[in-house]
Amino acid sequence: MKVALLRLGLLAALLAVWELAGRAANPLLAVPPSAVVPALRDLLLLRSYPRLPASLWLTVREIGVAYALAVAAGLGCGFALGMNRLLGRAWGPMIAALYAVPAVVWYPSLMLFFGLDAASKIAFGFLLGFFPITLAVLAGVRQVNPHLVLVARAYGAGVVVVFFRVMLPSMLFTLVGGLRTGLALSVIGVVVGEILGSKDGMGALINHAYGLLRTGDYVALVLVTLLLVVGSDVLASGLERRARRWSE
Amino acid sequence: MTAAGGALIAIESVAKRYVTSSGPVDALDNVSLSVAEGEFCTLIGPSGCGKSTLLGMLGGLVSPDRGRLLVAGGPVTGPDPRRVATVFQDAGLFPWRTALENVEFGLELQGVPAERRRRRAGELLGPLGLGGFAERYPRELSGGMKQRVAIGRALAIDAKILLMDEPFGALDEQTRVLMGEWLLDIWRRTRKTVIFVTHSLHEALFLSTRVAVMTARPGRIKSVLELTMEYPRSMESPEMVALRAKLWSEMREESLRAMQ
Ligand SMILES: Nc1ncnc2c1ncn2[C@@H]1O[C@H](COP(=O)(O)OP(=O)(O)OP(=O)(O)O)[C@@H](O)[C@H]1O
Ligand SMILES: [Mg+2]
Repeated sequence: MKVALLRLGLLAALLAVWELAGRAANPLLAVPPSAVVPALRDLLLLRSYPRLPASLWLTVREIGVAYALAVAAGLGCGFALGMNRLLGRAWGPMIAALYAVPAVVWYPSLMLFFGLDAASKIAFGFLLGFFPITLAVLAGVRQVNPHLVLVARAYGAGVVVVFFRVMLPSMLFTLVGGLRTGLALSVIGVVVGEILGSKDGMGALINHAYGLLRTGDYVALVLVTLLLVVGSDVLASGLERRARRWSE
Repeated sequence: MTAAGGALIAIESVAKRYVTSSGPVDALDNVSLSVAEGEFCTLIGPSGCGKSTLLGMLGGLVSPDRGRLLVAGGPVTGPDPRRVATVFQDAGLFPWRTALENVEFGLELQGVPAERRRRRAGELLGPLGLGGFAERYPRELSGGMKQRVAIGRALAIDAKILLMDEPFGALDEQTRVLMGEWLLDIWRRTRKTVIFVTHSLHEALFLSTRVAVMTARPGRIKSVLELTMEYPRSMESPEMVALRAKLWSEMREESLRAMQ
């Protein structure tokens, strides 16, 4: 209850500051919240951007594909490196180092390679989501207590049972944390990719509004995109909470 | 003593060397021992003499460098939970499973239906003094309680051979005595073959049909004591007092060597 009040308080304060600053500044560059409301209404009624549903759906699909690829590759690489001591020692640190490189530097080459359509966005979302998932699996594998693996084997567990009954529960929390971070980064990758250069999707609409200095529309589009990001994160954090309850 | 004409467990000249980053460690050197069906055989010896290693070999988790181990006439090639159940030195409970679910673990792997294994596990918790703790997680249990859950997990699969590595090590003196009596009762009712590791002379003399004293590392069998007294045993009988003195002097020698 108190937490909710404090959150609302912060939001209200931010809105107030925004309103004041927006009214004081050049209306071409900044809009107060009071001006966003009509823009948002026009947007949602499909007056300003009739393409909105199609664009939103495209972005969601790109995110879905990018994230699915990131999860598959991240789990695959993570487990391969985690289970194989030599590979893990050799390549694990390299992956961690690559993760530290600001990923945007790869984007121009992705666009050259994959073109301006969905593929380059998916590739970028994949790239961003892949690293945290791989690294979480690597860290998780290291958390598994080898003695418990031995105990399970004594009671008849083979490789598959050890994996599902001992390894996964041991690393679940770390793994789910990595999957959550990966999702957030995949979403960012796709949207940033669209903003940096694309013909369609939420990022393209944002770019369009921004380029024409339709600042009210721009902010309204950003709000809709924000909803997408926050929504996916809420979903992921719900899953994380469940996993935590289960693994503790 | 032998039930079916041969020993149920035969350990023949096994040796084990661990290679570590700080050099090789000879844990066991030429250990031979055979245990007949229904025996309660205790291994006693100084810390680090390879008792856990020997149990690990019998459980199929550690392979010997030399020699061989036979269970029921066949060589041990890997874990065989239908025949051998192990209580590990540190309980080794799964932290994400409740006490009850930990006890159920082995049955689950054997594909016993949920309801039956739950009933079986539930029946074991009572005598282990864990009746009210079925739904607790290991982190909510004391050290002794964890150890008892581990005993329950081993008993649940009802294997013929029970390997127990200091199962009462984490218990207080009184509980230890009670648990010893309880184990004795189970052993006499089920006629399991038990190989038991302890540092307690009292436990060894009170429970075992045979006590094998091991030397300081590298572990060998120094001597084997046959105990023929009736159960339940009185620790004050002259026979017991004499045995105790004998066992004590043998162990003292090895413990002194192990300390050097
Ligand atoms: N996995 C291993 N890797 C390397 N060395 C080991 C390993 N397991 C045991 N050892 C070494 O082998 C020797 C025997 O160990 P073991 O655990 O069998 O002794 P123990 O008799 O059970 O001792 P304690 O009474 O303290 O439990 C010790 O010196 C130990 O350091
Ligand atoms: Mg030991």
